[in-house]
Amino acid sequence: MPKIDLTMDVNGRKVVKQTDPHKRLLDFLREDLNLTGTKEGCGAGECGTCSVFVDGKLVKSCLMPAAKADGAKIETIEGLARPGSLTPVQQAFHKTGASQCGYCIPGMVMAATSALRENPDAGIEEIKERLGGNICRCTGYTKIFEAVEIARDVIAGRLPETALDEDATGESFIGANVRRLDAPSKVSGRLKYAADIKMVDMLQMQVLRAPMPHARIVSIDTSEAEAMDGVACVITADDVPGTDGFGVFVHDQPVMARGKVRHFGEAVAAVAAEDLVTARRALAKIKVEYEELPGVYAPEDALKPGAPVIHDYAQDNVIKHIPIRKGDPEKGFAEADLILEDVFTTQQVEHAYLEPEAGIAYVDHDDVVTVLSPSQNITHHRHMLAEILALPINKVRFIMSAVGGGFGGKEDMIYQGMLALAAMKTHRPVQLNFTREESIVASAKRHPSKVHYKMGLKWSGEITAIEFDMLSDGGAYGMSSEGVMRKAAILSCGPYEVKNLKVDTKVVYTNNTPSGAFRTFGGMQAQFATESMMDMAAEALDMDPFELRRINMMRIGSRTHTQQELTTASLDRVLDAAEAASRWEAGAPKVRGPRRGDLGGPDTRQPCTLGARIGEPTVTPTNDERVAS
Amino acid sequence: MLICESYHVPKRLEEALALWADAPEGSRLVSGATDILPWAREGRAGDVEIPALIDVTKIPELKGYSCDKGRIRLGAATVYQDFLTDRTLMTNLPCMPYCAIWFADDQIREQATVVGNLVNASPVADGTPPVVALNGEIELTRLEDGAVKRRTVPVVDFIEGPGRTTIQPGEIATAVTVDSAYGYGGSFQKVGQRRSLVISVACCAALVRADSTGTMFEDVRLALGGVGPRPIRLRDAERRLKGERITQELIQRVAESAADSVGSRSRKEYRRDVVVNFVRAGLEEALANQPEIGAKFKNFGETENA
Ligand SMILES: Cc1cc2nc3c(=O)[nH]c(=O)nc-3n(C[C@H](O)[C@H](O)[C@H](O)COP(=O)(O)OP(=O)(O)OC[C@H]3O[C@@H](n4cnc5c(N)ncnc54)[C@H](O)[C@@H]3O)c2cc1C
Ligand code: FES
Ligand code: FES
Repeated sequence: MPKIDLTMDVNGRKVVKQTDPHKRLLDFLREDLNLTGTKEGCGAGECGTCSVFVDGKLVKSCLMPAAKADGAKIETIEGLARPGSLTPVQQAFHKTGASQCGYCIPGMVMAATSALRENPDAGIEEIKERLGGNICRCTGYTKIFEAVEIARDVIAGRLPETALDEDATGESFIGANVRRLDAPSKVSGRLKYAADIKMVDMLQMQVLRAPMPHARIVSIDTSEAEAMDGVACVITADDVPGTDGFGVFVHDQPVMARGKVRHFGEAVAAVAAEDLVTARRALAKIKVEYEELPGVYAPEDALKPGAPVIHDYAQDNVIKHIPIRKGDPEKGFAEADLILEDVFTTQQVEHAYLEPEAGIAYVDHDDVVTVLSPSQNITHHRHMLAEILALPINKVRFIMSAVGGGFGGKEDMIYQGMLALAAMKTHRPVQLNFTREESIVASAKRHPSKVHYKMGLKWSGEITAIEFDMLSDGGAYGMSSEGVMRKAAILSCGPYEVKNLKVDTKVVYTNNTPSGAFRTFGGMQAQFATESMMDMAAEALDMDPFELRRINMMRIGSRTHTQQELTTASLDRVLDAAEAASRWEAGAPKVRGPRRGDLGGPDTRQPCTLGARIGEPTVTPTNDERVAS
Repeated sequence: MLICESYHVPKRLEEALALWADAPEGSRLVSGATDILPWAREGRAGDVEIPALIDVTKIPELKGYSCDKGRIRLGAATVYQDFLTDRTLMTNLPCMPYCAIWFADDQIREQATVVGNLVNASPVADGTPPVVALNGEIELTRLEDGAVKRRTVPVVDFIEGPGRTTIQPGEIATAVTVDSAYGYGGSFQKVGQRRSLVISVACCAALVRADSTGTMFEDVRLALGGVGPRPIRLRDAERRLKGERITQELIQRVAESAADSVGSRSRKEYRRDVVVNFVRAGLEEALANQPEIGAKFKNFGETENA
């Protein structure tokens, strides 16, 4: 590829460089100039982690060809403040705790800076509008907006500079606003995530993924890809030296598809090459012959006799069944004045952390295979990888890089094994950075679930028995399914004391994207069913829903569903606080006073509006606005 | 991933036209690149290798706008953010700021051009309905025997279907010419699930001029997007409103009749409901937004969300 010459003013310094014509401004900044404070969260204009100023205008650098910025003045997160100092916006983000995982934060700081440059008096609605192109998955935005308002007022002189200082802490840290130690590295863009790290002589990896959900692999021909200039190695399941298989509970997942693929997007082969373009081109040269197999896409179908078997070891497709029995449910239902039955379903959910999966592996000077990645479970990964690589544990090392959001989605070792194999095969550092699309296709999701619920109650509101039967879609591999089912079972009937219960949580294999860990670990699915049922029961009993919960809540001395006797309990206080905070109107759900007191208060979220700035004269003046003649 | 052999940034129109005429098969023009870069990704076009990309945004003739005889010529490099920062454009094209504020986000609007949106010809593009309502024409320029030749095509005819336009090989869109609607009230309706970065399920642009007493419709322009393969101008509805007294009943009746313009096969019932609400809300908001006239009947602003 012929190169192009680019000249820019970047953060006040002249830059003259040759680069590839296809590079986006984002690539040029990150790869050619090592300005990695600008991140790539999606590469498609959707997330704002790549925001930079070009000639004073904030743009998404993933949508701008680098050649377009030739001759322009560029300002990145690294250029906002002098080294060692922070701008008021950055200080305010630090103060309010607006940075959590930090991956969105450089872009967010840029957007906030742009908002205040465009309109130093911007109101909260306009601030929200101007930050609309930047997504954060951690903070819920409130602290970010708070930070922008503080910075705005400090800059305008309405608040003293000291408003940016840390709040004083009294006797206890509990209840005090304590600043995060790592926030300065995040608000300044200096913290290096795995994709930001470069090593000398490093190769880039790309992964060939299955184009269908269930198929036998007849053959893989990598010869053409291997023969390409710039390709250092191609790996497949055949390169695994030890016992292939990982997973949080059952080690049912090979590093790369072995013999067959079980879900769309499963890794089949991987290339490590001198650069990303070569690696991409090499993928296109790998020939895989598949024989499509009938698939299973609904958990109910997985249990039918004669259903396609996804893993040989589990002929019934069941990953795990967790039963809990307490008391005598039959007797409990017989005593009930009212029996309610319903079905509750929840869907698959993507974690959508702002940092796509990324990692580097290398073999160090002592032959230690080292993997650096934002893994949420490095010790377990290390043990599994040692088995897979047939190495003693002291020859395998995991380094946890800064995690740009995980929420459970980075607990599975879905790519670290491939990196290790390529590093061992080439003896060079190898890096793999997922695209957003790849992250969505290949990473675990929240378990879709279906709960058949049966609840027996007395007219007094007392629950006499519950039957809770959950069927979950585990997808193609076991991952955290067992733990998720355990948690779902333990929490199934909620924080209520139920004397008689029959709980079953079951998870099965299908050819869907694997399900894994996700915040609440099964609790959410169970609580959706239980709390919905409680509200429906309150309606059926003509009773205040808070009242119904108080009647049944666990107290000190209560026995949980798994027969643990509680020595502390706080649900009474939780219910009181929730009732007050929601300005609850007492009474059965169908009772409504003349005015709803719970809506429109200062603590409720206002509906989304747009156009706060239209009609405001912050725009270019002109002598004659009228064009029509 | 978009890979190109060469990236050209011509500084003169003739140079761009010559480059484009001689460009190897598969080469593409680039304006803001906000459609073309996301297109070359997994799940859409995937990896694309292109011989040449020709960026037309640095050509002086394609920048800025000019005004002549009640028409405004928007150079091809005009971006959506301009409709939120340039007073002349805001007052003369009163539906555009409302379209712009719903369009992508502040950052993408700095790049995204009106022309790129039209040539991309997505059935759910937000840019087409307001341009169609403003009687927009696209100017297409080519080299013929070394001479620069131009033709103009009404935007309603230019867009033939999803991704299909009447642009010919060798042609570069150099401008969009629209009516000045100075003194009109404008509005834009869009269904989206959050305030930024949403692609429309359906959208509607409205322009209204009431008489000086604010009781009669003098002129009405209505256009829909997202409900069929091409943008739709609601000529019939416009005719039924023009010259009539402004009443809630009339607006409601006309809005209901617009439901039949929905051509999309998917979510048809939903789209029909949306169109009725959009036409009504669009007219009401445009009336309320008309400078110096203001609404002459009550109950504005209480439109339900579609
Ligand atoms: C995150 C995101 C959000 C978006 N939100 C919206 C939205 O809310 N509403 C909406 O309508 N769109 C939206 N878009 C789509 C896109 O931003 C618009 O369609 C934009 O107007 C395209 O203009 P551009 O200048 O970037 O086009 P480009 O990507 O540069 O080009 C688009 C097409 O037009 C051709 N082309 C460009 N210039 C010329 C020319 N002068 N002559 C001939 N052909 C030309 C190109 O070859 C290409 O085929 C969004 C895009 C992203 C990434
Ligand atoms: S918006 Fe550029 S990386 Fe997401
Ligand atoms: S802090 Fe915003 S995504 Fe994590």
